[in-house]
Amino acid sequence: MSHARVERRHLLSAAALGRDVQTPRPADDDGTAIDAVSGQIVDATTHLLVVENDDGQEERLVIAPWATAWRGGPVPPTRLPIGSRVIIRTRAGRVADCVWADMTRMTGIILDVRGRRDLTVEIDGGPHRGRRSIVIPYRSTGRILVRHPRLEPGYLFDAIGTMQDGAAVAQVPATSQPPYRAEALPPPPPAFGGTRTRISGTAVWSDYTDHGAAYPMLESSDTGCDQGVVSCARLPYLSLGSMLFVRNVCARRSGTVPIVGCGCMAGHFCDRCLDCDTSPRGRIVELSALSYVRLGGDLTKGCFNAQVGLG
Amino acid sequence: MTAAVAALPILTLLLIMGGAAKLISAGDDARQGALNRLGPAVLVPERFRRAAMLCCALGEFALVAGQLVADLAVARWLTVVFFTVSTYVLWDLRRRRPDVGCGCFGEVSSAPVGLRSVARTAVLAVLAAVVATTDVGPAEALSRASWTAAAWAVCGLALLLSLSPEVEETFSRLRHRAPCEERSIPAGRALSRLRSSTEWRAHADVLESDEPFDSWRELCWRFLAFPGRGGTEVVFAVYLSGRRPAVRVAVVGQDGTLVEPIQESIAVSA
Repeated sequence: MSHARVERRHLLSAAALGRDVQTPRPADDDGTAIDAVSGQIVDATTHLLVVENDDGQEERLVIAPWATAWRGGPVPPTRLPIGSRVIIRTRAGRVADCVWADMTRMTGIILDVRGRRDLTVEIDGGPHRGRRSIVIPYRSTGRILVRHPRLEPGYLFDAIGTMQDGAAVAQVPATSQPPYRAEALPPPPPAFGGTRTRISGTAVWSDYTDHGAAYPMLESSDTGCDQGVVSCARLPYLSLGSMLFVRNVCARRSGTVPIVGCGCMAGHFCDRCLDCDTSPRGRIVELSALSYVRLGGDLTKGCFNAQVGLG
Repeated sequence: MTAAVAALPILTLLLIMGGAAKLISAGDDARQGALNRLGPAVLVPERFRRAAMLCCALGEFALVAGQLVADLAVARWLTVVFFTVSTYVLWDLRRRRPDVGCGCFGEVSSAPVGLRSVARTAVLAVLAAVVATTDVGPAEALSRASWTAAAWAVCGLALLLSLSPEVEETFSRLRHRAPCEERSIPAGRALSRLRSSTEWRAHADVLESDEPFDSWRELCWRFLAFPGRGGTEVVFAVYLSGRRPAVRVAVVGQDGTLVEPIQESIAVSA
């Protein structure tokens, strides 16, 4: 389906129902102007980080004295290699506050596990992301296995790591592995209680390059998602192009993002987020890394407690 | 006089039910980013919505107290004003925000405002006018209670129930359990409903093709976009619940501007 057609859906539906046309907008409920930049590091000095952003423009960011960076583990921001792909959380305009380098998220159903010391895991990321091969280095196997005790075909896998020489290397688990096989998803809670004005659950991030969100409850006929709709949480139907209001309950930030993908894989996870409190069960939205950071999320934590509504 | 004796308990019951439902739904619905918006509160800026809902609910309770406890003639006339203004506001809401439910009885009233909802409020305004003109208070209503008045009350309630889309929504909830926006509904059903609608016949001559080039679903609405003449796009919105669902239409130019406003003379059952 063409991108332009999906973008036009929101305009057309607003025209038919007399609604206001919404544009993606980050909000700063807690009074702090947080933004995010993604791009490649061109130069890094003691106080300055020079980045070529996704639009090809050069951005010069002051590194805050308290700034942290993560690239498979905590590193000083000045030690990040030139050419690293980064997502930078900025405060007050041009001050780099937190840098995540070469991040990737490996979410899917385990197809195959090979190796003895370093493990190579083949995962199915769903119809939109396809299959990918990831490596769990020996030094990370302990912390991954303690949260993924069933590292065997048919079970779900979710880890955060880095891209190193074109290979995805898992460093930390993103969640505790659900105890059921992917095809044995527990049914959503019974739909008593009528219409709900807002849905609570877990928001996660993914490697989506389009800025926006993937949402699990889309009609398969509208999205080309031939696996059908699966969701662990009770969710209403929305479509590609709908505007989704997302609130980070922990950081008390909210914003409106467009739905740009089908969260087929997110719907398989019935986990809870413990970022600030115990969230209700089920992943309700999968944000692109940039949207996730703009809403106050920490990429190494992997989730935040969220509420969603129609934007 | 008998009609007024029958109308007073009906008005009291509906005012109490409406006020209580609005108080319950005001907390959830008025916040930013809610999934469903209810009632005329959507016409005011976002930060005043909760206050508007609460004012409406408290106003309804005040009218009941004024009629039953204080037995004031002015409260009876204010009830007439309340329902008359409500009738106009619902008519305006239907024109300006066709996707919004009336919210008269909280979230059960989430179906788009239709002629029935407007007619129900108009009937309530007439009943209030009957009570106000005969100046019947609670004591007089009790002393004049009779089987004839009871029969009038039953007839009035039956009329109001027949004009209430909430009844269909309640049966639909009992049948399906899940609310409409969570039920899987085949896309073809919306297309067949659209083709039997007045909107389809009214816009058939501006369509270049009978087949939609895009179709998508959002909550309880399915949207179908057709190529229109002169490079326009004709988008229909079909409500997915109810026997004669609401259908809305807009003609949009290439630049995104509205070529033709939303139709006002729409025959809908919701």
